[in-house]
Amino acid sequence: MTTPTPTSTASPLTRALGIVSLVGVGATAWLGLVASPRDRLQQDAVRLMYVHVPAVTWMYVAVLVCALASGMWLRKRTDGWDVLAGAAAELALLLTGLGLLTGSVWGRPTWGVYWVWDARLTSTAILFVLLLGYQALRRYPAEPQARSRMTAVLGLLLVPNAMIVHFSVDWWRSLHQDATVSKLDASIEGLMLFTLAVSFVAMGVVCAWLLVHRFRVGWLERSAERHLLDAALADRRADADPSAGVAVGGTR
Amino acid sequence: MSLGALVAMTHAGYVAAGWIATVIVLGGYAAATIRRGRRLSLVVPPEERRWS
Repeated sequence: MTTPTPTSTASPLTRALGIVSLVGVGATAWLGLVASPRDRLQQDAVRLMYVHVPAVTWMYVAVLVCALASGMWLRKRTDGWDVLAGAAAELALLLTGLGLLTGSVWGRPTWGVYWVWDARLTSTAILFVLLLGYQALRRYPAEPQARSRMTAVLGLLLVPNAMIVHFSVDWWRSLHQDATVSKLDASIEGLMLFTLAVSFVAMGVVCAWLLVHRFRVGWLERSAERHLLDAALADRRADADPSAGVAVGGTR
Repeated sequence: MSLGALVAMTHAGYVAAGWIATVIVLGGYAAATIRRGRRLSLVVPPEERRWS
């Protein structure tokens, strides 16, 4: 009896990451919603920090991975780097959207408004629009090498924008608070700091799991496109020269 | 903390909205990615799926 070939993007690595992700999400939910204390000023709205801060932090990492992969594609011109850049950009878009959403929900009870044209929020919104543009460019019907070159250049340009997002609270007067944890002088401590650390690790594992699966989906898309193109070319050749089709393939 | 204490949170609606949105966004994207992978795996030969 033979083992059936798995028809998915799963592997032992992703299964292990998936299990760790579920445990991490469960631990974050228990610590963030039940065990950790309420903040003196923000009260229970502080519990939104355990989803907002990790999402935004891993957004920076996803943008950096996209830029690095874009740079490597421009250097090596191999499919793998382009697929990795596309997967990381899609994840960055998801995390930027999540950061904007959870930030708005946190802003209403804390600032009294869902949205304000503050430097941090505005620069994050611009990054979100850039990432949407990146996705549109990847779907643009152009010659694949030219399309990959355009998206690689845009992938590199995401980094200065992400830096503006990060440093906006230092460079301009902003309603948004400074970094909660930076340079080892955390403005939170105890169980709240531990909960934030657990949520950060859990979100990281979830993002790694998503990135691996999304990379494999991108790889499969490339292979499927190639097979469809090969089949279409073979059909065209056979239509143009029926005798060659019989001679090569035997039947048509 | 009991269930009653959870409900008695200040800003409970905002906290619930933020967490539920996170679970829906990440869970939905994960499910969509897995589904796309399964669909594409059916049309690509096994030797090109290096991880399987």
